Amino acid sequence: MLATRTALLHVFLFVPIAYLLAFVGFPIVYNVIMSVQEVNLGNIADLVRPFVGLDNYREVMADASFRKVFINSLVFVGVNVVAQVSIGLGLAMFFAQRFPGASFLRGLLLASWMLPALVVGALWKWMFATEYGVANFVLRALGLIGSPVHWLSDPAVALTSVTIANIWFGMPFSMILIAAALTSVPLELYEAAALDGAGATARFRYITLPAIRPALLAIACLVTIYTMRAFDLIFAMTQGGPLDASNVLPLLSYQFSFQQFQFGVGSAIGTFAFVIVFGVALVYVRTLKKEGGE
Amino acid sequence: MKQPRFRRLGALPLAGIPHAVFATAFVLLYLFPIYWMFISGLKSTAEIFANPPTFVPRQPTLASFEYIFLRENVLRYLRNSLAIAIPVTVLTLLLGSMGAYAMSRLRGRLVDVALVLVLLLQVFPEALLATPMFIIFKSLGILNTFAAVILATASKTLSFALVILRPMFRQVPYELEEASFVDGCTPLQTFRLIVLPIMRVPLIVVGTLSFVQAYGQFVYAMTLMSQQELQPATVGIYSFVGAEYADWHRVMAFSSIFVLPILVLFLFLQRRIVAGLTAGALK
Repeated sequence: MLATRTALLHVFLFVPIAYLLAFVGFPIVYNVIMSVQEVNLGNIADLVRPFVGLDNYREVMADASFRKVFINSLVFVGVNVVAQVSIGLGLAMFFAQRFPGASFLRGLLLASWMLPALVVGALWKWMFATEYGVANFVLRALGLIGSPVHWLSDPAVALTSVTIANIWFGMPFSMILIAAALTSVPLELYEAAALDGAGATARFRYITLPAIRPALLAIACLVTIYTMRAFDLIFAMTQGGPLDASNVLPLLSYQFSFQQFQFGVGSAIGTFAFVIVFGVALVYVRTLKKEGGE
Repeated sequence: MKQPRFRRLGALPLAGIPHAVFATAFVLLYLFPIYWMFISGLKSTAEIFANPPTFVPRQPTLASFEYIFLRENVLRYLRNSLAIAIPVTVLTLLLGSMGAYAMSRLRGRLVDVALVLVLLLQVFPEALLATPMFIIFKSLGILNTFAAVILATASKTLSFALVILRPMFRQVPYELEEASFVDGCTPLQTFRLIVLPIMRVPLIVVGTLSFVQAYGQFVYAMTLMSQQELQPATVGIYSFVGAEYADWHRVMAFSSIFVLPILVLFLFLQRRIVAGLTAGALK
């Protein structure tokens, strides 16, 4: 019986892992192979394609739009991580106080994260519409802006607009994870600190923050990974425009592959993004191992 | 992991009222965009472009809904979304419960490697996998079928399911399985009749989250299927929004109908979803 059970467990482990290797692992490897080949519409289905070495990478590096989009990606991801984690931390601490409906109301915020990213993009595109959008109306009514902001068509503003939408979309998820981390801080620590006369600020600095630092790092990694993936939301709002102002790496890669049919160049851009997410994922896995310590 | 927090502050129930009021106001404000989506769908053509905009529709109308159902094949789009989301959910639950069960029971290097592999494979952006997927499915001859989108999407939901379910399966006591062996059940029967029923609630949570992800799938549908008749609602909404001058009341009516099932599911399962997410992502 035990032998059959072990055999069954190995089959159970093998099937899903084989599935993931076939449909994620293999495409990643295939992407890297394509990035050193010349791939166009004519030879896309062929097995043998001309090897071009690092030409695609050279082309990418020389491309002015790539540098711009690379920096955009860093800004988009960086601002998202900082905003989602800090706002999330503030809210999680607020909701950790005991008041009627606290956990229900906190959970309700997650509604924004449950929406399909494409719908979130469509919704914010409507709210950010220059003439009839509710954002400009409210800001003008409050006297915060004089003339309407061109949220999506002004190259100086577009990246900010998609960043705001993405923070709205993703922050509740970060907040829920931070809230879970907060509940693992032993209450006795706070009680002891309060007895010693530590104020709220001191308790936050010397107890809360050190206790949840590993969790915050893991959450920051997760937000980075999720934000690096952002495609639908930006595609719906601006398609990366105007003039690549709000473009990010996955979207640029898609444009090269599926709009200009330069699959090799698209794949080379993809490799850059892969390396970044892979690095962050390694940090994430290490943090989990250290913290979980199973 | 369990509440309550800060017991000493909560001694007086009244003390929490200002907090509750503030929190309610904040949540309502935060979720305002969702409200705006629904009421925009209920506005008439004249009212949607009114200046100043109305925050409660003056003359709510279902005209936009009527229009999109009669003129824009919304029913077909929704049917296609379900034709993708339901098989993805089934496939994810099947493979996910198998893998999570195995990872919770086996020990040693193999499982460690498998777990790291799952964690690493879930991070790659879909938009970047779309090109190689396109070529793979082209050579398999299943481009322009739901099968391609289903297989591609399930690769994303599966790793997510494995990560969330594994710690849950660990909680099933091994003694229960032993007892079932003594009763003469095979290992497979034990899994089906003993372990899975205990895991009902986590499986519902993971099933819901997989469904929601697959239902909102956009990139793979757009890249792996070129026929409009097969496209799901996400692509349908996108084709509305892409236009220079969008009919926003209709786009929002379409979006409202589309996300309504998700929001209803969410309201029913909110507590369990929150618990499931926190269990998986950080353990």
